[in-house]
Amino acid sequence: MVFRSRTSDRTHPTAHSSQGNDRLADAPKARLARIEHEKLLGYHRLHAWTVPDMTMTRRALLGAGALAASCGIWPARAARPFRLGLTPVFLDNDAAVIERLRVALAGALGTAVEMEQRRTYKEVTEMLLEGALDAAWLCGYPYLQHRDALSLVAVPVWNGKPLYRSYLIVGAGDDAGSLADLKGDVHAFSDPDSNSGYLVTASDLAMKGLRAEEFFGRTIFTYGHRNVVRAVSSGLVRSGSVDGYVWEALARMEPALTAGTRVISRSEWLGFPPVCARSDRIGDKDVARFQKAVLNFGASAAGRAALDLLQLDGMTRATPALFDGIARRMQILNSLR
Amino acid sequence: MGLWRNLSLSLRVPLLVVVLMVSVGIIASQQVLAQLDRHQAARIRELARLHVEALSVALGPHVLRNDIWEVYDTLKRAAGASDGRRTVFSAVANENGKVLTATEPRRAPVDSPISALSAGAQLPGELSISSTAPRVRLLAPLVYQGREVGQILTELDISDLVAERNATRRFLLLGNALATGFLALVGYLATRRMLMPITRLVTWMRNTEGAPRPIPDEQVPAGDSELAQLVQTYNDMVCAIEAKTDAERRLAERERFVSLGRLSSSLAHEINNPLGGLLNAADTIQQYADRPEVVRQSSELITRGLKHLRDVAKATLDQNRLDRSGAPLSPDDFDDLHLLIGPEVSRRMQALDWQITAGAATLAAFASAPVRQIVLNLLLNATEAAGRNGRLGLNVAVGDGHLCLCISDSGPGLSEAACERLLGTGHTQPGGGVGLRLVHDLVTRLKGRIRLDRRDAMTWIRIDLPIPEQPEAGAC
Repeated sequence: MVFRSRTSDRTHPTAHSSQGNDRLADAPKARLARIEHEKLLGYHRLHAWTVPDMTMTRRALLGAGALAASCGIWPARAARPFRLGLTPVFLDNDAAVIERLRVALAGALGTAVEMEQRRTYKEVTEMLLEGALDAAWLCGYPYLQHRDALSLVAVPVWNGKPLYRSYLIVGAGDDAGSLADLKGDVHAFSDPDSNSGYLVTASDLAMKGLRAEEFFGRTIFTYGHRNVVRAVSSGLVRSGSVDGYVWEALARMEPALTAGTRVISRSEWLGFPPVCARSDRIGDKDVARFQKAVLNFGASAAGRAALDLLQLDGMTRATPALFDGIARRMQILNSLR
Repeated sequence: MGLWRNLSLSLRVPLLVVVLMVSVGIIASQQVLAQLDRHQAARIRELARLHVEALSVALGPHVLRNDIWEVYDTLKRAAGASDGRRTVFSAVANENGKVLTATEPRRAPVDSPISALSAGAQLPGELSISSTAPRVRLLAPLVYQGREVGQILTELDISDLVAERNATRRFLLLGNALATGFLALVGYLATRRMLMPITRLVTWMRNTEGAPRPIPDEQVPAGDSELAQLVQTYNDMVCAIEAKTDAERRLAERERFVSLGRLSSSLAHEINNPLGGLLNAADTIQQYADRPEVVRQSSELITRGLKHLRDVAKATLDQNRLDRSGAPLSPDDFDDLHLLIGPEVSRRMQALDWQITAGAATLAAFASAPVRQIVLNLLLNATEAAGRNGRLGLNVAVGDGHLCLCISDSGPGLSEAACERLLGTGHTQPGGGVGLRLVHDLVTRLKGRIRLDRRDAMTWIRIDLPIPEQPEAGAC
């Protein structure tokens, strides 16, 4: 099926190619087009009203319009809230933190904010890519995976720097001293698209020519850094790869949980999980206002309170170079594949 | 058993009531406890079934995909949400029997065999509760979309149910014990009260002092109950016994007179015979008063005749003396009997074998009257049975702690009716003499024994009377 761009206030990345966004490669374009097409056919029901304007064949357009109209899902645009996607890069299980963050953002934006959570990084990333989200708090790894389609909005500042580390943890009573001691045992990753929760350990093994699924006796994905800590602490697994920021935050908020674990190695400092938006929308009024709001988050009392809950100092602008360390690890891992 | 038999009825019946009530209490308690066990087992089975079904629904897709974390997370959330922490441990294995995860991963590590944990595990449908174990372990197949994709091992904490059952058991046993004890006490007292007239009746019967006395009317239970009828019957029996005793006494008196009547003719003959000689001697003295030798011979004749008459008179007086119950038996009594029976024997020209070997000391242990009456009656019967020219005998000896009286005669033997009167204890048929029945009653009163034998064409009646004191040596 052939898609053709169409001028709109919510343009498809292909439509922006003429506006100078030439970083979009052909492959991402084709994937975005496929996602949009599947959604029109009803495969993606989530936020179906967020159908981006596209240029397509008349038959497809008429068909899509008829389907949307028959389902009553063609809402008015005026009251549309800002949709922010959240990955388990932080304490995504704490409803109070998320609510405080939502209220603070809504106050700063002057409009309603919807926080969208999904189980995996992949789901949130794809929702952002397909336009179901206006922005998303991703991880450096998926950002780099879709670097051609995504742009940095802001990067959190933790302990004065927009950097964090990956921790390799074991049970508190475990006498393992390094990654090599964990060979043949059960290991918990957070998410296959997580930098600290997968890429760092996998690339460390790749440097030695080892694959994680072969080095460990068994690997599991918990789809949450807190879950990695739970899995290690309970003894379900012997070791885990976890976000250092999350582990430190948990150590202050739930010391009993982290007390069951012990950090045996820490990675180098890497770019903190960034807030991203689709590159073709980075200049949009909503996204720009959002970017301004998050960069000045610490200025308001509500924003400050939310940052305190998140144990973050604030937000800052960053360049893709901040994630070069992650990029290097990606290259190492890809070289093994 | 002997102790139970020795207990009085007024104790046995109440105690039996107590035993029955306690038995009922125990059986009732057992029934209630069994019902409680069944109820709890059904409750646990239902709980286990629901638990397994819920876990199967929740875990099925994750087990199918070997998604260890999701299985673990679901188990933990299920365990956290379980009511009262009923589920204390759960482990899930894949279809190969390898543990995927457990609520306590260190106890059931990933990929360890589930069989290491399933020892003693029961199937949910056959789950039973031990009386002491605070936990039960069950192993159930994990069925998802009609396919067995793994196994679920669960430990359920039933300590509350066990405690509830134990508390119920204690409460029930205590309550039943108290209720049974109270009811048993009430039953005991009520039964004892109901049986009081029997106790009173027994006391009255025991305190007869030789002659039963009727219970006064004021002590007869009120109403027309069985006990009142029993006491009334007892009083009627006492009156009947008194009447019977009077009748027997009158009969005995009559028998004595009958015996005397039978003796009178012989005695008259015995007295009349010497009277002729005596009168002749007196005439001789009057006629030959001047001849001293004739007078002396005649007076000696008169003296012997008078002595004989004196002896006959004395024996007759002794036999008829009304108050002789206190006189001990002596050889003189048998001499009297010999004198009394002698005329009858002579009249019938019978041969009498008379042997008294028992010593005076032994005879003195018995009262004179009953023994004399027994022997006289039997000798009179023997003389009558032996007939003219017959033989009869009396042998009185001591043997084996008994005074043995043997009366024999050459008669044809006792008739069946006579045997019944002498030996039987039942009611005697009307007609016939009362002499033999009087012998029977006197022997019975003396705790003796009568034996009847027929040998060598002779009838032998042997009476053994136990000697109250140390018997003399001798042979029967």
